Amino acid sequence: MPRNGSFAILFNTLVVMFMLAPLVIVCLVAFTPENTLSLPGWNWSLRWFRKVFEHPDFVTSFINSLWLATVSASIAVGLAVPASLAITRGNFPGRQALEGLFLSPLVIPHLVLGVALLQMFARIGATGSFVWLSLAHVVVITPYAMRLLIAAMTGYDRSVEHAALSLGASRLTVFRRITLPMILPGVSGGWLLCFINSFDEVTMSIFITAPSTITLPVKMYMYATESIDPMMAAVSALVVGLTAATALLLDRIYGLDRVLVGQR
Amino acid sequence: MPFLELDALSKHYGPVKAVDDVSLSVEQGEFISLLGPSGCGKTTTLQMIAGFVDATAGRIRLQGRDITHAPANTRGLGIVFQSYALFPHMTVADNVAFGLEMQKVDRAERARRVEQALALVHLDAHAGRYPRELSGGQRQRVALARAIVIRPPLLLLDEPLSNLDAKLREAMQFELRTIQQQVGTTTIMVTHDQAEAFSVSDRVVVMQSGRITQIDTPYEVYEHPASEFISRFVGKTNLLPPATANGPQRHIRPEKLTLKPAGQGRSDATVVDRFFLGSQWLYHLESPLGPMVVVQVNDGSPAHAPGTVVALDWDDATLRTLPEGSR
Repeated sequence: MPRNGSFAILFNTLVVMFMLAPLVIVCLVAFTPENTLSLPGWNWSLRWFRKVFEHPDFVTSFINSLWLATVSASIAVGLAVPASLAITRGNFPGRQALEGLFLSPLVIPHLVLGVALLQMFARIGATGSFVWLSLAHVVVITPYAMRLLIAAMTGYDRSVEHAALSLGASRLTVFRRITLPMILPGVSGGWLLCFINSFDEVTMSIFITAPSTITLPVKMYMYATESIDPMMAAVSALVVGLTAATALLLDRIYGLDRVLVGQR
Repeated sequence: MPFLELDALSKHYGPVKAVDDVSLSVEQGEFISLLGPSGCGKTTTLQMIAGFVDATAGRIRLQGRDITHAPANTRGLGIVFQSYALFPHMTVADNVAFGLEMQKVDRAERARRVEQALALVHLDAHAGRYPRELSGGQRQRVALARAIVIRPPLLLLDEPLSNLDAKLREAMQFELRTIQQQVGTTTIMVTHDQAEAFSVSDRVVVMQSGRITQIDTPYEVYEHPASEFISRFVGKTNLLPPATANGPQRHIRPEKLTLKPAGQGRSDATVVDRFFLGSQWLYHLESPLGPMVVVQVNDGSPAHAPGTVVALDWDDATLRTLPEGSR
């Protein structure tokens, strides 16, 4: 591996600092004993964390968000795998159009989608339905999985599949034993990206969540519009901590490189 | 009954005839090369035999069974791909075992045959490695072991050596031939490299624009090419003027010409340039007969310097005439 020059190291350090600084600050603020958003001095307190758990609706919305992200990311990847297989290797009319259609949610503002879906949900009586909320999220996050999977599948050597076929494998066996393991980094990376995007989505969800299906970001947004206190920081710190723990765990078990890049 | 028979096999893509009316009979145990420039249809022919490309017309019969439209995964053929196509997420042993697993060979027998196949290609020590940890030549041999371990009736090799460097390629040519003779599998190899085709094959099938233009032993293809195209494709050639006014063009190979002191041959010629090839000298000469290419064995005697006048001589028995309009 080539060694980085001192300039490159400096540049990368600055970029990482720029990206991490807000997270670090919000985590520090979460420990303040004061009533305002301020950095804790010598006194650190867990009072705002305690306050979070005194709001059961925050815990519920967090669980809602987890479920929603898990379900919609899985559906999105389930759709994106066959779709990107067809797009990268098929040779049928309308292939380009299909790819455009799948990626189009990327260019539609979530605000517009939210308003449109609100009207549709009201009309078909889907307000407050977890299933319809998940489907709305699937629409928004599928492009992310598609992008990653198409990238993972282009330049993929088809003769590997031919080799498996020639050795007597059925088409299903070829997919299960050869194709899927080879595109696994794209699949897992795509799922993770979808999960994060769904978990993070607020603009569209504000319009289409009901009290029973409210997600954490929407809950936080609504809380923050009413009162600004360090409890928001505590919630954020909890999410950051949980994400970091998950990433560490994944790295321990599989290695993040293997999940996202495909190296072992 | 021939072991493998291609009967008027064709593949058309719209108006383009990628393979046009190809007929070929292969005997059991034979090593056949499909030789031709890129785009001549040799790979498409191989892919039709393998079952990856569906024939437009014609028949493929293997051991008397019509397999023209049989799915690729029912043909049981061993195939070595140009890119090797190893399964990157499996070890060498698992790669080789895959075909046996598909045939539901039991575990103990599988292990025994994998070991045997890896020993045959001298890779027994690398069974636990992953393909990315191997060199190009080693990957090539894993691909070969994976193809022959299922004991296929027919082995198909698609440009198997083209990704190797020159020295390794030559070594692998001999190894390929040795292994093929040991296991006795009927083999069809696609190549654009005439030296490769000549050194390992029993017979060479020359293809050009989707058609077969000559089927012969390597020696016959080189010595008696059916057309000027083949003559130039498989080696260098010199054109001599016709012996009579309306006679046919005459050809002679560079190594059949000899250089003598000026005035002692059939025609004087001036050395324009010379190239040292190690075991041989390659001369470019200018003569009243036209430009000439001559190859002489490097027997230790001093080479002729550019500008030297020498004489060309040849044995009339080495002259070849080619069929009219055979281009």
